[in-house]
Amino acid sequence: MTYTISPLPHVKSKESVKSVMWGTVAALVPITIAAIYLFGLPALTIVLATVVAAVVTEIVIYKAASQPITIRDGNAVLIGLLLALLMPASVPIWVPIIGAAFAIAIPKYIFGGTGTLVFHPALVGFAFLLAAWPTLMGTVSIPNLGGFSDLLLETGAGRLVEASPALVLLGGAFVLYKKYVDRRVALSATILLLLLMPIVGMGSQLPYVITGGYFLGLIFLAADPITSPVTKKGRLVYGTVLVLLILIQLHFDTYFAGMCFAVLLMNVFSPFIDRNTIPKPIGGK
Amino acid sequence: MIIPLQQHDGAVCDSLVSVGDIVSVGQLIGDGEFRIHSSVSGEVTAVSELPHPTGKDVLSVVIKTHDGEKREIEPVELSAGKIRRIIKEAGIVEPNGHPTLRTKGDIDTIVVNGTNTWDLSSYEAIMLDHPSKIVYGLKALMETVGAKKAFIIIELGSEALNTMRTETIPDSNIKVIATPGYYPPGTENTLSKKFAKKKVPRGSTTEDRGVLVSSIAAMKAIYDALRDGEPMIKKVVTVAGAVGSPRNVLVDIGTPIGYMIKECGGCSGTPVKIIVNGAISGAAQYSDEVPVIKTTTGILVQTERDIEREPQAPCINCAWCVDECPIGLMPHLLYGYADSAQFDKCAELYIGDCVECGMCAYVCPSKLPIVQIIRYGKHGVAEMEASE
Repeated sequence: MTYTISPLPHVKSKESVKSVMWGTVAALVPITIAAIYLFGLPALTIVLATVVAAVVTEIVIYKAASQPITIRDGNAVLIGLLLALLMPASVPIWVPIIGAAFAIAIPKYIFGGTGTLVFHPALVGFAFLLAAWPTLMGTVSIPNLGGFSDLLLETGAGRLVEASPALVLLGGAFVLYKKYVDRRVALSATILLLLLMPIVGMGSQLPYVITGGYFLGLIFLAADPITSPVTKKGRLVYGTVLVLLILIQLHFDTYFAGMCFAVLLMNVFSPFIDRNTIPKPIGGK
Repeated sequence: MIIPLQQHDGAVCDSLVSVGDIVSVGQLIGDGEFRIHSSVSGEVTAVSELPHPTGKDVLSVVIKTHDGEKREIEPVELSAGKIRRIIKEAGIVEPNGHPTLRTKGDIDTIVVNGTNTWDLSSYEAIMLDHPSKIVYGLKALMETVGAKKAFIIIELGSEALNTMRTETIPDSNIKVIATPGYYPPGTENTLSKKFAKKKVPRGSTTEDRGVLVSSIAAMKAIYDALRDGEPMIKKVVTVAGAVGSPRNVLVDIGTPIGYMIKECGGCSGTPVKIIVNGAISGAAQYSDEVPVIKTTTGILVQTERDIEREPQAPCINCAWCVDECPIGLMPHLLYGYADSAQFDKCAELYIGDCVECGMCAYVCPSKLPIVQIIRYGKHGVAEMEASE
């Protein structure tokens, strides 16, 4: 009788990169449906076009480079969906398509693909579109027009993701529970931001922060595992500094794009934070 | 019966018997820095290098048993001064290979590990069956080393929690602690830091800080040695996985694991992997002729269906391994540096501190063979240091 031998461990948890990515996509389904309900057909076309553009771009690039195609891991779908949700409902359909192609080609593929990339591809795609076509990307969102019920369905929303803060939080709670995004980053950033704003005298701007866009930014984008730090201490530092950057941006009143650029800026510091917060192992002097 | 002459962390014992000798239960057959006793009566048929659960071949004594020839073991008369000698001579070993009585220094606290992984439950079985013996053994050990307090660590939700709590009510210096975590053997420093609140600097042991980390199995073995005069010749072992009737069994040391699997209903399906000491931290065996030794706590049988063969993906920096590491290392960085042969970086990140418990590779969503590569890294660091 011969037996297989292998190094330990001999069982592995059920979670895989695939389940992390597709699980995160699943968490975004409720808010996507709410956006389609609120904005109608344009939202549906934006979502479909962006996701398809991301997937097709990935297939084409990886095929051209004769590398294994990793569409099944769900990363391209996730990037496409996140980018679509950041779009204003009124945007012409070709804009997010270009954004998705850019997001896959430059920040994802050029930077080495899943795992090694530095900047969150969906955010880079968004920043690129904002810089290229500011007029098309600009939108007027006036949160909390209808009071408390706007937490469920935001009638003043301009972007897809702002359709419902409550549904973004619902998806967020799921990914936080499953640890698909980093708990320390997401919770430290969200709680600190909501606590600090009244303290530094920006309480009147709170409605602009209690939106789907901000919750998506803090939970799904900032706490994205690939681009956020790894050390336990580093993740708290990351969340804290991010909040300070957001507060500075908010002071100059660019409420949504400001948050996105704050996260992108923090992406740069992520390796730096990691390197300087390497923990001492138990027994370390 | 196959009784290896190395069942602890240290040198192989010298054989005191040779082919043709008749041995009886409890007879000393190996001596040196440690002691090994025969668990059966019979005739020595071979003294040679044979497969060992660690994967290498170790000098072992093979005994052909004579049925019904069990020697009566005489109970030992107890006097305080004798306890230390008896425990020492009984050859009691922890599951990680450390002798239970390994220090002459001052010990203040004893931490008894009673946590098991999901596929093993031998500690729980001992606690449920013999709670009073465990407390007896613990008290004897406390008296021997002069410890003032002791903690028994049990997983939350374990049935043994109530049993042990009830048993230790009269003793204010023994505390049962429920924990959500699991502590693989070898994480003595972690247990010391978390429960005895004593941090152990690199290069020294928990004993240097006055903390002795032991296990439930050792407490029972101390009782057996003191009250029944029985050295460590039996072990409670969990037989789990793809077998007819998975259960905990009390076996003589030296029993081949193939025999135990047969006794527990045999394999259900074709066995592909046999693992000693747990699915996460255990070692896969290439032969079922390997005997149960003093450090054995469980045997797990896996069929093709149970074996993980998912393809690898790149590391996504999810930090689950960092959160899980009981030592506080950065497993994903060690993996990356070792994989690219940057051994100086591995050494900077304290690769030598890794106890190879396997938790990082268990949680890894990218299915990276982290432990395998870390072992390679340790090897590389050793070579690098040797060449300097």
